[in-house]
Amino acid sequence: MLKRGIPLIIAISFGGLTLISLLFSITEISSLILEWASFLAAVALLLGAINLLSVHTHRLAAHRPVGGQNIYSAALVISMLVVFGLGMTDLIGLTNNSVGVVFNWIQAPLEAALASLLAFFLLLSGIRLLQRQRTIASILFLATAVLILLSNAFIASPILPQSISSLFQQLRDLIQSIIVTSGIRGILIGVALGAITLSIRLLLGLERPYNK
Amino acid sequence: MTNLVPLVIIILLAVSILLGSRRLAQREGPALRPLAGYTALKGQVGRAIESASQLHISLGRASLTGAASATSVAALAVLDRLAEEGCANDTPPITTVGDGTLLPLAENNLRHAAEYANSSTGIPPGTARFIASRNDAFAYAAGVASVIQQEKILGSIMVGHFGQELAIVAEVAARNQVQQIIGSDDPLALAAAAPVTDNLMIGEEMLAAPAYMQGKPAQLASLQLQDIVRILISLTILGLAIYRFAGG
Repeated sequence: MLKRGIPLIIAISFGGLTLISLLFSITEISSLILEWASFLAAVALLLGAINLLSVHTHRLAAHRPVGGQNIYSAALVISMLVVFGLGMTDLIGLTNNSVGVVFNWIQAPLEAALASLLAFFLLLSGIRLLQRQRTIASILFLATAVLILLSNAFIASPILPQSISSLFQQLRDLIQSIIVTSGIRGILIGVALGAITLSIRLLLGLERPYNK
Repeated sequence: MTNLVPLVIIILLAVSILLGSRRLAQREGPALRPLAGYTALKGQVGRAIESASQLHISLGRASLTGAASATSVAALAVLDRLAEEGCANDTPPITTVGDGTLLPLAENNLRHAAEYANSSTGIPPGTARFIASRNDAFAYAAGVASVIQQEKILGSIMVGHFGQELAIVAEVAARNQVQQIIGSDDPLALAAAAPVTDNLMIGEEMLAAPAYMQGKPAQLASLQLQDIVRILISLTILGLAIYRFAGG
């Protein structure tokens, strides 16, 4: 009883306190609670990093020799240790901003490369959808994707006459500002309503994901 | 005075949920309309066991301390159900998270499910996995994609907060012929998911996970209240549009 009651009391009191401090702009309380939450989130991130290292070290230990799919685990463990080492050398002043250099020269370009592939992934998915089921919705999906891609290319191109470029621009604006925006707003209103009622249940202690 | 308005609205909604919940506790709850995502969830664990493979569930990358925390609570409700069914057959789902705050909760849910099911194997190490922090969306997507590619996975359930990076995971899963169930609050993620699966949980449908998975009176009352408020909002928008159209 006590095991379930204490987390519930803590959740309801801190939830209520945060709500009141945010509604009535009592910044001292809301900032303090936010600081505590940020601290806990930072500890959780550290636990996450330990979990990541442990999962991949186990994989390396369980499947020897290193090779094939294990090579990813080896790369991850080595990268983590190297970045940790660089962080330490930055801290004691042996190197200067080496973690930043690793981020800017390795991680950022890799993420940018993945992001640039998104359009192709989407187009490929659209083609696969058309192969899987030839419905009006799938045809519309692919046609809209191709139309938006083409219109973006045509608008930027100086080769086409102004009248055709502006026609494509109008078509793109019509799709984006009316059809897409209204759909997105519909989804977001639903999400907001769902989030509000779920939050109220959490505040009332009717939803207890923490209490197992 | 302006601060009192949201407080009054919150109190009104809270009282409505409490009253609705009390009413539903005394009689049989309403039948929930079938949603493709939840229908597809049924039997996933059984099929995974039959094919000697596992299920993968990704809880997204929304922090419990952030604005999208509600999506993580909904995702945890789905994990609860899959963990209970999986642990009863000693096949807990591989769970990946994209935020540190979700890891202890996911581990706790899995451990509780194993204890409840008296699982002989318990939860093997590495069942719950942290992939990347929420700020590294593409690192997270690449990590989840590698889990799908490297493990023997029958179905992948991605419920929570995802962005457009979901396209990478969905593409890898589709290439590996993994059945997918996807739920997100982000329209961009949903656009990326729509071509690869019919089993979608769109926005609020995903947030209804606790009601569909557990079906407690308070959760059902919330859904009814949401429906009423949605109708009111729609009518207000329609009324204002007509008013503006008529030159008001």
